[in-house]
Parts: sequence; C-alpha cells; structure tokens
Amino acid sequence: MNNVRPLARRLFPAAFGLAAALVLAGCAPATTAPESGNDAGTPTAGGTLVYASGDAEPSCLDPHVGGNYPQALVSSQYLETLYTKDAKGNLVPWLAEDSTVSQDGLTRTVKIRKGIKFTDGTALDAAAVKANFEHLLDPKTASSTGYLALGKIDSMKALDAATLELKLKSPDNSLLESFSMPWVAIESPTALKRSQEENCAAPVGTGPFKVESWKKQDAVNLVRNEDHVQPVATPGHEGAAYLEGITWRFIPEAATRYAALQAGEVQIIDNAQPDSIAAAAKSQGIKHLDAPRPGASNRIELNSSKAPFNDSKVREAFIHAVNVDAGIDSLFFGTAPRSYSPLSSVEPLAYSAETLFAYDPAKAGELLDSAGWTERDSEGYRTKDSKRLSLAFPVSTSQSIPAEQSLFEQLQATAKESGIEIKINLLDLSSWYGELFTNDYNLVSAPYTKVGPSVLSILFHSDSTIPAPSGYFANLSQVKDPALDELLDSAGSTADEAERKEKYAQAQKLVLEGHYLLPLYDQQNHFLYSEKLRNVGATTAVATPTFFDTWLAK
Amino acid sequence: MSNKRPVLSPGEPVLAQRTANRPAPGTWGPKALAVRLPLLLSAAALAFFVLAALVPNALAPFDPLAINPAAAFSPPGSAHLLGTDESGRDIYSRIIHGSRPSLLIGAAATAIGLGLALLLGTIAGFGGKWLDFGVGRILEVLFALPGLLLALVFIALAGPGVGTTVVAVGLTTAPGYARMIRAQIIALRTSPMVEAATVLGRSRTRILATHILPNALAPIAVLGTLGLGQAVVWAASLSFLGLGAPPPAPEWGAMLSAGRTYLALAWWMTFFPGLAIVLVAAASTVLSRALKTAGAR
Repeated sequence: MNNVRPLARRLFPAAFGLAAALVLAGCAPATTAPESGNDAGTPTAGGTLVYASGDAEPSCLDPHVGGNYPQALVSSQYLETLYTKDAKGNLVPWLAEDSTVSQDGLTRTVKIRKGIKFTDGTALDAAAVKANFEHLLDPKTASSTGYLALGKIDSMKALDAATLELKLKSPDNSLLESFSMPWVAIESPTALKRSQEENCAAPVGTGPFKVESWKKQDAVNLVRNEDHVQPVATPGHEGAAYLEGITWRFIPEAATRYAALQAGEVQIIDNAQPDSIAAAAKSQGIKHLDAPRPGASNRIELNSSKAPFNDSKVREAFIHAVNVDAGIDSLFFGTAPRSYSPLSSVEPLAYSAETLFAYDPAKAGELLDSAGWTERDSEGYRTKDSKRLSLAFPVSTSQSIPAEQSLFEQLQATAKESGIEIKINLLDLSSWYGELFTNDYNLVSAPYTKVGPSVLSILFHSDSTIPAPSGYFANLSQVKDPALDELLDSAGSTADEAERKEKYAQAQKLVLEGHYLLPLYDQQNHFLYSEKLRNVGATTAVATPTFFDTWLAK
Repeated sequence: MSNKRPVLSPGEPVLAQRTANRPAPGTWGPKALAVRLPLLLSAAALAFFVLAALVPNALAPFDPLAINPAAAFSPPGSAHLLGTDESGRDIYSRIIHGSRPSLLIGAAATAIGLGLALLLGTIAGFGGKWLDFGVGRILEVLFALPGLLLALVFIALAGPGVGTTVVAVGLTTAPGYARMIRAQIIALRTSPMVEAATVLGRSRTRILATHILPNALAPIAVLGTLGLGQAVVWAASLSFLGLGAPPPAPEWGAMLSAGRTYLALAWWMTFFPGLAIVLVAAASTVLSRALKTAGAR
C-alpha cells in the first residue's frame, strides 16, 4: 500500500518517542503538579529547550536575505532590533535610544544605545547600524521584506558614534515600526563582511542566544550569550538568559509535531493546528500561546481587474453568498475569532465593519439578478450571455493550513447554493505565484505580515499592482482608485498622529465598502508548550516568541 | 505475477498438480466453500463497488458534497453510518460516490497501460532483433525510474487532474506489462503451431492475428484484473498527494489525506476510505489469481 506507508513512517517517531517516554517515566521520580499557574516557583538556570517548527527550514538564517516568517521566528533568538513593542503593544526603543524627525519629515535622526556588544566582540554604534541598512539595500543581499521597509531612505550618515542621520526621499511615518521588525534586525558589521554563505549559516547579533551550529535538515543549535545585556531593563531578570541553549528543530507534519510535544521530546511547537489546540486545552500538561501576527488579517481578495469581479455588485453578492462563520466555528474550535477588517486585531489603527459581511443568500441573489446573472445552467450555476458565473481560486498549500483549505471548500459549497461556482485549485507555491502573475485568478488568499498600518499601502495602493522584478505584486484585489492612493499617501507621510489615524480609517472603510476583500480571521500564530516551560509569552513586534526570561522546571 | 512461467500451455504438469487440491467444478460442500470463501468475498466486494460506481445515488443516503458544519466530526452511528468529515459531509456517501472515479481511473489506466504494453510487447516480440533491442532499451530506461516518480514527472509536465492521473498511471504500469507480453509472444512464436503455420507459408500478419494474439489474450485478462487493483492504489496515492481531481470531489486518496490531519480526533475519516482502497486492491488480486488458475485448467 503505497499511500499508507508514509503515514506509518510519520507516526513511527511519535510512537517511538511515546514508548521512550513511558520507559523513562518508570525510572524518573514523579514530578509534582504546579499548584498555582504557569509561572509559579523560583526560576532555575540551565537546560536546553527543544523547539519544533512546522515551517520549512529557512535556506538562510540571516533575515536580511529574503525575509520571511520562519526566518523571523528563529532569528528573534539571536538578533535584536532598534525598536520593539512592549507588552502593551506600544512601540518602544530597544537597541536605539531615541529618534527624532525634522519638521519637513525628510531627516530622521536615530540615537544608538551605548555599551552593547555583538557576540563577536564588535561594538554597536551608528556605523554598525549604517552598515546593516547598506546591507539591506544592497541588491546583492536579495532582501525583499527589509528592503521594502527601508525603501524611503535616500542617504545616511553616522554623525558620531551614537548618532545616525537618515535622509528620506519622502516623509515616512512608519519607519520606526519598520525598525521593530526582525527583517531589519541589527547584525555585527564585522560578520556582515563575510561571504553571504558564511553569514547565512551563522549570523552574529546581540540577542540572548547565539548560533553555535546548523545541521541542515536537522536542527539549528543555539547557545546562551553569556555576556548578554538587556538594552532596556524588563520586569524579568538581568544578565544572561536562564536557558543554556535552544535546539531549533523542523517537524513539518502537524500531527507528528504535536505527538512529539505530548511525548516530551520537544517543549514547544509552533503552527499548532486548531484540533490540537482544542485537545491541548483539555490536557493538564500543555499550555497555549496565541500570538496573532501584526499587519494584514487573513482575507480573501476579490480580483477587481477582470470579469466577473470588475462589477462591484458581483463582488458584494459573493461576500453575502458565502457562510464564513459556520465554517470557522466548526473547523477552528473557537481558536480563531472572525475578522471584519483588512488589518490584524493587534493593529491599533484597525477599522472593522461587521455589518458589511453578513451571510445573506437572498441579498446575494438580488444583487446577482440586478447585475444580469439571471439564467441558470443545467448544473444550477448562474449564467450571463451563456457564460457561467465561475470563479478561479488558486490556493497555495504551503500558505494555507488544512483547516483553512476545508473552510474554502465550505465557502465553495455555500456559494453553489447562490449559483456561484468556485474552482479551488490546490497548488505548490511556485505554481501559485504563476497563476497570480498571469492574472488567472478571481479569488486569492495571501498572508502579509508587517508592523503598523502602512501594510495597507502595500496591499491596496495602485503602485502595488505593478509586479516587482520577482514577478510578485501585493495588491491582489488590484484596486486602482486615485482617491484611495491619495489617502494612503497622505496617511503614510503625515506627522500628525490623529490625521494618520483618520486617514487610515478612511482608507480601510473605502476598501471594505468597495467589496474588494472578505476578511476571515487574524493570521494564526499559535504555540503549544509543555507546562514545564515557565515564563513563555514575551514576543517581538511581529509576534515571534523570545525566550530570555523562559526557564525549564525540573 | 509470482509465477514466472508464462501461463500458456494447457495441461502443464506443475499447474495440473497445483490445481489438484482445488474443489472440482460444481461441488459446493463445506470444504469447497471454505476454499472458495476468499474468492466469493472478493467477488462480492468488487461487485459492490462496481454497483456503487454505476448507481451511486441508489446506495448513498446523502449528497457527497452537501456540507453541514454543525454535524462536523460526527462518529459512525445511526445518523451517519461511517461518520462525517470536517465539513459534516457523510463519509459513507463520499466513499460510494468516490467509487466511480477510483474504479474508472483504475480501469482506464489499466487499459492504457495494457494497450501500450501490447503494442510495445508485440513490436519487441515479433518485430525482429533490432526492434526488440530498441524497445528493450526504452523499457529499461522506464524501469530505471521508480513508478511513482515517473507518474509525478508526467503530472508535473501535464498538470494535475483526472485525465493526467489516468495517463500517468497507465504510463507507469506499461513497462512491466510490456515485458511480460514480449515474453509471451516470443514463447508463442517458437511454439509448434506457429512453426507449422510458418512452414505452411502463412504471412506474418496472419500468424500474429490468428495464432499469437488470441493466445496471448488470456494472460492479459489476468494481468488486467491484477492491474486494476494496483492502478486504484496508484491513483489513490496520487490524489493523496493532491494531484488528482480538485476539491471537493470525493476521491478515496484525497479523503485519506484530508483525514490524516484529524487522525487523533476522527479516525473514521481515514480508516474507511483506506478500507475501500484495501478492499478493491485485495479483491482484484484474489480474483486475478482465480482467473489465472482457471485459465491454466
């Protein structure tokens, strides 16, 4: 049986781990259950944390290169950023001490904190930060996320050891938010001078851990940075991290990853699936960290550049024809609250419009009738000029979890009742990019993580319909609205916080009321961890966990 | 084909011996029934799935595509015989409706595989030394690639879908059959009856049409039945990998793959589609063995 064997192979390690755990349980003294919560007890130093990631193993550990979420997850342990977000979600300086901007918004001065050293002994100063920005903007680095974030920088100059002056092409009020992302993290300039291959294998930063070795296809081994200095005193402790090290493993199969956690083989897993989270809620030994990513919500974009979605009535009809809520309830086990905004719920400037997204087949029918889709074919689908109302929906299997793919199938089934055909096409990532590039889609769902509301410009500004050299463009609903462009431009450059908020709210209202997108839920970012792991919960600005204060109970 | 000798000479002593402890035709005593039980069960299972493929609506209580999120993950019971999946769709109805694509893919792929094999095997076996050499090398190249890889390469080139799956599985199974058919034809070519026909001055085409092909057909029927089960498994493997019909089509392999995510929560989502695949594969193997023995008798 060809098709059963891989499953057995995947389950084997889990079963083996479980068996090993049972054997060990026989000889180890029984641990007493903690009496009051997760963080009870005195922190003890030592021990190695085993982290199991469900993402594909990055090809480069330096998040400057490319710049995706799996890189952010691992590099948050050994690299730090100029700015970060505190527990309340406020943007606070970290490796930077302070920053000011000129009246015209074109000159930004960044003060760099003194007394911090990279793990190779190089000192952090303005020249080091400049070297990092130059590295990011160098086309040879092939940065995409970090490169975009620093796109407004025209020139830079280290005025003295602690002061960096940036000249901007146009005002950019999201620059500090950009500085808080791991893709713009600060690395040792000495280390950056090495070849890209060397730097990818072991980037050097200022974080609580450092990269010791990377056995490809197996694990990244991180060890404690003994000389670590917290740039800003936090409520936790001072000095070096409690943990001796972190073994960063890759276990792509969700069921195996969860089984490894249950067996005690690993202490924390990412990309936890909804059914595992629900099961873990009932189990004593496993805890849950829900860290929605900032930036855009998970949403379905409606391609307005071609028929049938060039008619806003058809877009509106589609939104009322699909039953999102019933699917989320049954498939996500209460782990994913519904979103009605283009932005993540952790974005302070997110604007929601729940009333626009009711499941209302009667209204969908009226809208389709008035748009001329009145005839029905033999299969019950609506037609107009004897063309079926059919929507192509390419789905990237690597960017959509199984529950989300099932949700799309449920939307397909409910849309059929209103006479709309949805053709789901499950594709690998490169074929999926291909469909977008050739504009062969009517519906598409693509995640986008960024700190701050400026992600709206990336997703909905008409400039973003022009493909980058790589062929990718982020404005997948292909909105081209001069009024919206104007709003996004002024919202992104104003120095007045109230005006920024107002303009971004108007921009969101415009895309929601234009029926360009169907918000689903926040970008899901769930972690499950053993109750022996204490003080878990601190995250970076992009919701990647950090383990400086974390310790392993005996 | 575990028996390497071509099944073509009736009354061969080895086979006569093997069939000696089989019940004589027409006897239905308890002992005979016990020997025939696997065969009867296999025939029943295959008949059931063929019936399901022909008239799914008569057997399935629910629409295989109708979702009911409120009833998602219901265990097997009176409301849903084999339980429901993550969207509340009835597993039993989906398996029934999945019979048609699964069996059709299996049958069509086997037909393509055997057809191609018959062509290549005949050319190699009857076309003379150089054609035999040429076809032999092509087959060796195809053999050098693992079957699934060959199918995946083809799908990567032609794009996923039912039609591609059929051709991919057919292509993958063809080399094996072609070798067996070539061996059959070579054995027949040197048989006394062909020698006699040659002596009598019959044309090669006529010899091929009247003597060789008809005699090669019986073993091909055996291969076909055996191949059906194998092709169903291949097709399920490909749809398990997401290379079959697009969602929400009820394909056994795709159902198996969808259930895998929820193995700990809803075992029935994986178990029953898997059982259907096992049943078809096992039943067609048992039937092909019976056909083989019957052909040898």
